[in-house]
Amino acid sequence: MTGYLIRRLGTAIIVVLGIILVTFLMLHIVAPSPAQTVLGPKATPAAISAWNHTNGFDRPWYSQFGTYLNNLLHGNLGWSYKLNQTVDSLFKEKAPLSGFLSLTSLVVAIAVALPLGIFQAVKRNSFGDVSATTLAFVFYSMPVFLVALLLIQVFALSLGWVDANVPQDQSLSGALAHFKDLILPIVALATTAVASYSRYQRSSSLDVLAQDYIKVARAKGLSERLVFSRHLVRNASLPMITLIGLSLPVLIGGNVLIEYAFNINGLGLMFVNALSNDDYNVLMAYTLITAILTVIGNLVADVCLTLSDPRIKLV
Amino acid sequence: MTTIVPPPAPADPGATSTDAGDIAVEIQTGWKLTLREFARNKLALLGVGILVFFVLFCFVGPFVYHTNQVATNLLNTDQPPGNGPLGTDSNGFDVLGRLMLGGQTSLEIGLLAAVIATVIGTLWGAVAGLLGGLVDAAMMRVVDILLSLPFLLVVLIVAHRYGSNVWNLSLILGVFSWLVPARLVRGEVLTLRVRDFVSAARVMGGSRTRLIFRHLIPNAMGTVIVNITFQIADAILALAALGFLNFGVHYPHTDWGSQIADAADNLSNGYWWLVFPVGIALVLVVMAFNLIGDGLRDAVDVRLRKR
Amino acid sequence: MAPLLEVENLTTHIQLSRSVVRPVENVSFHLKAGETLGLVGESGCGKSMTGLSLMGLLPPGGRVLEESSIRLAGRELVGLPDSEWRGIRGNEIAMVFQDPMSSLDPTKTIGYQVAEPVRLHRGASKAEAMERAAEVLALVGLPRPKERLSDYPHQLSGGLRQRVMIAMALACEPKVLIADEPTTALDVTIQAQILTLLADLKDRLGMSMILITHDMGVVAGHADRINVMYAGRIAETTTTDRLFAGMRHPYTQGLLASIPRLAQDNTQRLYTIPGLPPDLSDPPAGCRFAARCTHATDRCRTEEPELTGSEDSHRFACWHPVDGALPPATVSVEKSAPAEGAGADEAPANRPLLEVVDLVKEFPVGGGLRRGKVSVKAVSGVSLSLGAGQTFGLVGESGCGKTTLGRMIVGLDKPDSGRVTLEGTQIDALHGRELRRHRRDLQMMFQDPYSSLDPRMRVGAILREPLQIQGIGTAKEQTDRVKELLGEVGLPTSALERFPHEFSGGQRQRIGLARALTLNPKVIVADEPVSALDVSIRAQVLNLMKRLQASHGMSYVVISHDLAVVKYLADRIGVMYLGKMVEVGSGQDIYERAAHPYTAGLLEAIPIPEPEVERGKRGGGIKGELPSPLAPPSGCRFRTRCPFAQDKCAEEEPLPRLFGDGHVAACHFPLQTPVERSAHSSDATGGAPGTSTGKAEGEATAAV
Repeated sequence: MTGYLIRRLGTAIIVVLGIILVTFLMLHIVAPSPAQTVLGPKATPAAISAWNHTNGFDRPWYSQFGTYLNNLLHGNLGWSYKLNQTVDSLFKEKAPLSGFLSLTSLVVAIAVALPLGIFQAVKRNSFGDVSATTLAFVFYSMPVFLVALLLIQVFALSLGWVDANVPQDQSLSGALAHFKDLILPIVALATTAVASYSRYQRSSSLDVLAQDYIKVARAKGLSERLVFSRHLVRNASLPMITLIGLSLPVLIGGNVLIEYAFNINGLGLMFVNALSNDDYNVLMAYTLITAILTVIGNLVADVCLTLSDPRIKLV
Repeated sequence: MTTIVPPPAPADPGATSTDAGDIAVEIQTGWKLTLREFARNKLALLGVGILVFFVLFCFVGPFVYHTNQVATNLLNTDQPPGNGPLGTDSNGFDVLGRLMLGGQTSLEIGLLAAVIATVIGTLWGAVAGLLGGLVDAAMMRVVDILLSLPFLLVVLIVAHRYGSNVWNLSLILGVFSWLVPARLVRGEVLTLRVRDFVSAARVMGGSRTRLIFRHLIPNAMGTVIVNITFQIADAILALAALGFLNFGVHYPHTDWGSQIADAADNLSNGYWWLVFPVGIALVLVVMAFNLIGDGLRDAVDVRLRKR
Repeated sequence: MAPLLEVENLTTHIQLSRSVVRPVENVSFHLKAGETLGLVGESGCGKSMTGLSLMGLLPPGGRVLEESSIRLAGRELVGLPDSEWRGIRGNEIAMVFQDPMSSLDPTKTIGYQVAEPVRLHRGASKAEAMERAAEVLALVGLPRPKERLSDYPHQLSGGLRQRVMIAMALACEPKVLIADEPTTALDVTIQAQILTLLADLKDRLGMSMILITHDMGVVAGHADRINVMYAGRIAETTTTDRLFAGMRHPYTQGLLASIPRLAQDNTQRLYTIPGLPPDLSDPPAGCRFAARCTHATDRCRTEEPELTGSEDSHRFACWHPVDGALPPATVSVEKSAPAEGAGADEAPANRPLLEVVDLVKEFPVGGGLRRGKVSVKAVSGVSLSLGAGQTFGLVGESGCGKTTLGRMIVGLDKPDSGRVTLEGTQIDALHGRELRRHRRDLQMMFQDPYSSLDPRMRVGAILREPLQIQGIGTAKEQTDRVKELLGEVGLPTSALERFPHEFSGGQRQRIGLARALTLNPKVIVADEPVSALDVSIRAQVLNLMKRLQASHGMSYVVISHDLAVVKYLADRIGVMYLGKMVEVGSGQDIYERAAHPYTAGLLEAIPIPEPEVERGKRGGGIKGELPSPLAPPSGCRFRTRCPFAQDKCAEEEPLPRLFGDGHVAACHFPLQTPVERSAHSSDATGGAPGTSTGKAEGEATAAV
């Protein structure tokens, strides 16, 4: 087990290094220097090159990369020239709310999608299955922000159950005080996730139902309920672990769209604003953290899978 | 996936004959068979129907239904349906005409991006799968790394800087979405190259090129074509997300995502006709591609069912 | 005494989306307490569906019609609500399925799975059920059962898994055990162990058993009564002895006659049943076998024969019953002199066509850092030689390396060391164009008829491909050649325009053979050419292979797990075990004078369709499981399963010894007396690393 973990961790570190390099290069090509942002649109070329020289932006890319890597190792994500704040502090402020949104919607999505997919497979082609499949298909084809607009129209504007305007408080505790207003964003994120998870769970359950050991379980005299609870659920859910690990970047992308749609003051909105402001250190940091979270997510998923599937050897 | 226990002995076509040499009467060709199977799938046909409708709507529609989509008409903004079949938007553009224009962009970019992604992905995956060994390992690590990058964020960053027209956006979306087809094709190549018919061709003395072009590519084609349809659906969705965040194509062009973004600002004013037509159009087109993809996948599977 | 299980007019329908399949129709039989009933037939005859109907476990859309009756100890089961069915399943009637690899839940321990029915039906506590599980696992011969309760299925071999499956079925001591092809997925030595175990347990527990199988040999040894099924109906039913002594239905007769026998004279053609079974969604009127029956008259085609006779007598459904088994076939295959084929002028005595010397192949396991440290020893120094127009048969259980050896001979795998020589040219050293040209002479026929033909190419293109690759002939000439080939393998020219999926398995194997023949090769390596086919189709393909060899004069290397198939086709046979050739000899040497204990055990394990012989064999055979090819045993690789093994076997690798003309075996304690030891014989092949030539064998070949 430890051997496996160490090897798996080793690959993860290589992948993370690759990610840092790729992200850095990409941003380096897109925006070599923040001088224009700092000095304003009227800065002379001389002033820009002087600023670049002072701040080390005229060095070759690998040298700049070295500095960046060094800073990163010391937990320094850089400086937001637009907001005049360290990127670290920006993240510390905004991460809890965004994290709460992502995690809650992920948990809700799993809690709904897994039973739903199993139910659909078991009652295949019943009215319930067909309607759930159809709905999942529609939401699977619908961008998350459209789901959000639909929810706003129905529940906030037409029914008036919740307020269309979400609390502007960027701290988690402040936002939680108005939890009711966070329901729509969470539901919107969860709905799209449920649409894709339940499709997978349904087909993986159907695969398991076709296995001989389900026939054997029936031949033992187990009732359908026991056949499913003992032999179907676990086997059908195993592939979902990997899928959920892989879907993290989609979830975080969804956060950007949802925070923009609901005007929630989280990391996603910060990213969109940074984009308009050419605030590249913020962009870099957010992309990087998302990518690293993805790697960690996959790692955790792998370890979970290893722990719950006895077939995978721990060597 | 269809039955729990396979029905007894799928009787062979022409099984009633007495001579081992006497076989099914009707001659079928491979792709014809796939098409026939596809045509039996009502949902897939529905998808084709929707798609045909929207292609005609977006590309032929403007010739039938003339609107001015270049000059704004600020005296006639946000009019409800009645003033034009679907009303006007905040710039005074006719919504129905705008929908056609935006649809052109979305369909074009979707198709182009999917083709670019599929070409890159297929080549990458095929080369990795065929060469194997260290080259394969290195190429797949690259895919792993790129797959960990958040697609939407990366595309946003690049599109913000370089995007604005159909070609650039297609290129950006395509260049960042070839990873899934690459994995798919590699997997397909790996399974195909150990199949007996490939071994048989090797035993005859078939060269590597022949194996690739006569056996591997034709057999992997099905998977690739199915994947293109899903890829188009994904690209249209991604473009919509860019548009929604105001990083879509620039004026005087438009795309469905940008239209939804404009509409979203006016949702609380009760201007529902701005968001729902374009929203429904978007969902229908994406659904159509997903339906066609599902149908094609099943049709290709059926053909191989009796492998 | 009333029979334990009475089945009357069992008819099962399966509703598919576009049709209704009737896999079982009007099937009636009785099963007495303590009796074993064999259900025999080819795939699709309804035997498995009968078993599933008795368990109330039909697939979706399946149902047993109301007029059917299944009575277990007087209790009617048809129409029972599911809650009551569940009390019977796994408790009074239990079932063992075919594939032990997929029949166990991979995420639950074997203890849990065996204990499950006990908890369910006996209301036992978890601990009590586990105790019972350990007890039953001991009963089925799982070594150290208590320790293995917490093992997961993937940690066990196929044979052990099937034992666990049996334990699971027996945990509640059912009255009736239905074993559906319980050994088909297993190797022949393991098959013998499992069948013996089943028979033994049946007697000890006083159960009745329904043994479903396609193998006449299996029922001959283990069934008291036999139902022969064809196309959803019972064709013939009686006691085992009476059936084999005096069968009355032409189908039974044909089925038995088409099986190649070990004792058979292999110059005779096998009997074949022409055609294919009918489509059960639209069965023909009249007798369902009529279309394939040589005795059929108009009456057979219009009027359906009933199963006639009293319950205990010999019953059969036929208008024109035959009397007893067919006499041994009388049509002999014309055996062309070996020299008539390619290389006719050479004196075959001096120079074998194909020589394989000391081939070694290991496959590294795992990747990354562990790569290269562990490897599967697939083939460890095997030599053989083959004369023109002859057939060398390679036999052995799965994992013995026979397929790898075949692939190395045709150049699909590169040997790690050793060489393959064809007519003096070392094939494995060739490259590029020259290798490609030499490929002509070495062709291959594959096992799986579903994967060996490119699904996207028409048959015409498939058969033309070898000619195109080798650049032989114009398009017109190629087409002519392809038509000629189709004729030779008995397919109409209309097949040219069709795709492989339009053909049955047997037809596809014919196409595969035609493709191998296209280039007029000197040697065809046939890897399990018939093991994916049903018995009656198998005989057609075997006959075809023989006929074509006679007319073309090429040589075969036939690889099979089935010694009877190999013996029917081959002049000389090599027996492989764990990457080594343990014995080589003529068919007669192997069958009548086996020198290696493994060969003898293998022969013993093969079920023969002769009741007296089979019953006498119970309890014999090879014990234990195949060791891991990652770390084969030291010395003699067979010693871990050999009844004669002594210390010497572990310390010293046995060298091949000569037992007669061309009869070589590598064993310290052989079953035959070796011919006087000479420098010559120690030089003979047999697989020991270090022996460098196949000289003795080559000379022996020439002498055959």
